[in-house]
Amino acid sequence: MISTENLKISNIYVPMLAIIKSITSENKVNDIKSFELVFKNENDFKRFKYIPGQFAEISLFGVGECPIGIASSPTEEGSLLFTIKKMGYVTTEIHNCEVGDTLGIRGPLGNGWPIEHMKNKNVIVIGGGFAFSTLRSLVNYIIDEKNRKFFKKVLVIYGNRDPGEVLYKETIKKWKMRDDIEVILTIDKPYEGWNEKVGFVAPVVKEVAPSPDNAICVVCGPPIMIKTTIAVLEELHFSDDQILNSLEMRMKCGIGKCGRCNIGNKYVCIDGPVFSLAELKKLPNEY
Amino acid sequence: MIILKTKILNKNDIGKLIIELSEDYNFYAPLKNENGILIFDKVFNIKDVILDYFNSKFPPKEILFPRTEELFKFKTDGKNIIEIINQPRTDIKNIIFGIRGCDAHAFNLMEKFFKSGNFQDDLFLIKKQNSILIGIGCNLPKSTCFCTSVGGDPFNKNYTDIFLSDLGDKYLFEIISDAGKKLLDKIEWLVDAKESDIKNAENLAKKSRTLFKQTLDLKDINTILDNQFNNTLWNSLTNNCIGCGNCAFICPTCTCFDVIDEFYPSKNIGRRIRVWDSCQFDIYTLHASGHNPRNNKIPRFRNRILHKFLYYPLNYGFLGCVGCGRCIQICPANNDLRNTLQALKLDKINKEKMEVKK
Repeated sequence: MISTENLKISNIYVPMLAIIKSITSENKVNDIKSFELVFKNENDFKRFKYIPGQFAEISLFGVGECPIGIASSPTEEGSLLFTIKKMGYVTTEIHNCEVGDTLGIRGPLGNGWPIEHMKNKNVIVIGGGFAFSTLRSLVNYIIDEKNRKFFKKVLVIYGNRDPGEVLYKETIKKWKMRDDIEVILTIDKPYEGWNEKVGFVAPVVKEVAPSPDNAICVVCGPPIMIKTTIAVLEELHFSDDQILNSLEMRMKCGIGKCGRCNIGNKYVCIDGPVFSLAELKKLPNEY
Repeated sequence: MIILKTKILNKNDIGKLIIELSEDYNFYAPLKNENGILIFDKVFNIKDVILDYFNSKFPPKEILFPRTEELFKFKTDGKNIIEIINQPRTDIKNIIFGIRGCDAHAFNLMEKFFKSGNFQDDLFLIKKQNSILIGIGCNLPKSTCFCTSVGGDPFNKNYTDIFLSDLGDKYLFEIISDAGKKLLDKIEWLVDAKESDIKNAENLAKKSRTLFKQTLDLKDINTILDNQFNNTLWNSLTNNCIGCGNCAFICPTCTCFDVIDEFYPSKNIGRRIRVWDSCQFDIYTLHASGHNPRNNKIPRFRNRILHKFLYYPLNYGFLGCVGCGRCIQICPANNDLRNTLQALKLDKINKEKMEVKK
């Protein structure tokens, strides 16, 4: 006989409930929105201890779940921010939600940016287009007054197709007003009224030529931008250990059980999404 | 291996045993379903139970890992969720009677997998914990069987609680685990086995081991498969594959699943379920953007082989295959896992020889 009395089991597939506090349209096309979420149950904030670079499974009940990077920094207490592009079935339905609606959050998931490893180093953050959410989290974390002293110089290079696509305009404005962080914005083609750089991210990085000395470089963006930027960084003598990347993959469970997000023997959901270029070079080219 | 107790179960008494144990347990045994297919199912009529079988068409996996499994229910007010109803059953107790050593081995792999990492899948683990496995030795392995090549044995008792050996008109009834010993208290009427019975069972096992049509040496398979990712051999190995996913569907160790929401608008009630999935399907890895990292059958086929014979050893230290041979039997294109592994091995050996010549 097996005793089943007092058997309490934890169900890792059950999300926490959160209410949409605000919705911000992030671009002109209006297919990218940021959702500010507040947990329904106050205690869930304590359960949800995260670091920049982690993600969560966002649920719309009756529709489904999808993995979304956390755009807020743990230093921004009281709410969580998720920037979601209208892409598939679930994200389209989430885009139809209004302030006050309830979503599910399961997380935090994934490894996140290696914060401890980045301390006492110059941090170079390079982003392209929509893949900027966990970079926003990272930068806000670093420049928080409690954390800023642990990091050396911070340089942000952020490229977009046109000015209308630049995410987090208000946040970036605040960054630009500070003297302890350098922010360089660029767009692909000249645009009336645009006073910042013009050109793809890779040539801008080449022009700025950050030094690899005691530096760590974080690169996020579309595949072609990553490829060209990494080539430039290698020219600038950055080693594979100094270049970090965050990958995306189709996921269901987010906890290494459902199987689909593997690259070789690594699961993007639990072993990633952050990998150094050195780690990626050891994995098969299947992502 | 320490056998805790050795008893005898007369074949005439199987009905009595099933009736007595069915009081407290869901009693599963091999039987033919309405289509004449041998599967594991709950026993309602003792006469249905078939114990002189090669192996079931479908493994008993779905007793503990159903094709469709509810993760939780939820209630809405028509628009928004009001409540999550999370009440997984923890009180269901199973006996899986007449399970082959390979399938019991597979349950052990699944248990280790679902326990691994920072997230334990208690939905599976609780069911495994509440289940008693009564295994049965294979006097005659099937032509597709290759358990001895992957660390198994036709008389593999390691992952069972009680183990049966078919001695003609009776079974040797060996108690393997403490759970099995506790179960014995309920069937005290079993008589003790004689020394000759034990000897006979040992001889059956010895004989069975010699009857395998094909055995492979897979001891160094993960070294062989290392650095084989870009081998062009995968293209020809995949030639026949039609991507039907049957191999994954009948595999006792495949655990991949999809997660889907169901919603009944008239009742404002829904549920989130997981359903079996297969790495052989396009949509398994298809991104919302349209990009697919495994966008044809070659990388999908390769992933299935490498997952079981390279990634499993790398991540958990054991193979992800128990040698039941079901994928060989069911493949409509006649792909044979043994030939695939053999081909990869030969290719590696040949290439190494070429290197030496150079």
